[in-house]
Amino acid sequence: MKEIDARGLLCPLPIINLGKAMSQCESGDELLLHSDDPATQSDLNAWSRMTGNTVNPITATSFLIVKK
Amino acid sequence: MVRVTGNFQSESPIHPKALALLESAFEAGWADPKKLGQASAKAALLRNEAIESIASHLKIHPSQIETFGDPALGHHLSLTALMQERSQLVHSAIDRSEIFAIAQSARTTVLPVNHDGNILGTHSPSPHSVLALQIANGETGVIQKCDEIIEDVQPELIALDATVSGFQVELPRRWNTALFSSASWEGPAGVGILAIADRSVWRNPLPHISAARTGLSAYLPLLLASALALEERVSMAREEELRRRQLTTAIRSELSKIADCDIAGNLATSLPHITSASFMYCNGEEIIRSLAMDGFSVDSGSACTSENLEPSHVLAAMQVLTHGNVRITVHSGTTHDEVMGLLRSLSSTVIRMRA
Repeated sequence: MKEIDARGLLCPLPIINLGKAMSQCESGDELLLHSDDPATQSDLNAWSRMTGNTVNPITATSFLIVKK
Repeated sequence: MVRVTGNFQSESPIHPKALALLESAFEAGWADPKKLGQASAKAALLRNEAIESIASHLKIHPSQIETFGDPALGHHLSLTALMQERSQLVHSAIDRSEIFAIAQSARTTVLPVNHDGNILGTHSPSPHSVLALQIANGETGVIQKCDEIIEDVQPELIALDATVSGFQVELPRRWNTALFSSASWEGPAGVGILAIADRSVWRNPLPHISAARTGLSAYLPLLLASALALEERVSMAREEELRRRQLTTAIRSELSKIADCDIAGNLATSLPHITSASFMYCNGEEIIRSLAMDGFSVDSGSACTSENLEPSHVLAAMQVLTHGNVRITVHSGTTHDEVMGLLRSLSSTVIRMRA
């Protein structure tokens, strides 16, 4: 599984890096995002709604993303 | 070719007629209205006329009004004044930071909001609850269905925040205090107005000796300018509402053509002059700087533009994208050309940033 370590990066870089990585994924692919930026969790909810990709929080700073 | 620029930040210039009044107001209203003497008597007369005018336009009784110099202080005068040790404070997840600050020293229930920014009430009333209720939100313009929320929450006491909605939205049927800001009707920013419906439940939260209700007062020349600005805005309310709504409709329509743009709330249930939009994969601070280079000023709720690097709690509570956010406010003087110029600059900025 592909992983993105965005810890230490501030908004909007974690989501920008996620978007770039997702553009190289196929439908059903899983990706693990690590981010400790306080804006990431709420932004992932909106990003999921807008893109249709699924976001499953694993911990407060790790998120499993599934491409639609 | 004339370069089109424009101010779309939340602060607006003082109404031109209020600005013109200020010089004569400083000449006529310098004395202390509470003292004896001719100048003070004249000042007292001017003060009473201003308060009566403000009260009539806000549809409250003049005797209910207190004025003071800093609207931010008003949240204590409005909300803390209704609270006791046993009180349960109920407020929404999209309320002002001043309310969250007051909530730190109280038992608190936070009401969630839906994606449109509507507060979701709760049917678990507390016998000593005090509801802090913002009539319209300053970041999104979303107007709350206050009567329904009050019916759901069934609070003992209600502190209304009308600092954004001003005269544009009628107060709900039930309330104990209502806070207004002169800036919401293009009056001077340094004038706060508090309406106290019933003095029996209101306790001055500030240190005081005098028996006077608050012992505070707004500086008279500014109060006079505020009263005139309110009078002018109310006299043009219908035309101005329509004009602003048309401009904001055009803004929202054009923004929705930009890919991956997340617009907060619905215009039909919002104040007509505020638009909050977020652009996926864009940096809010960079958008603001780019627009500024083109001569356009806007606000942002993105984390990168805030002092504490926290995203807007309002956008987060509504589950709206918090990064790449801009907040566009249409004012009385805003023209169609300015709006179109801003939208062209914003669109090209977003395309450039995503490239």
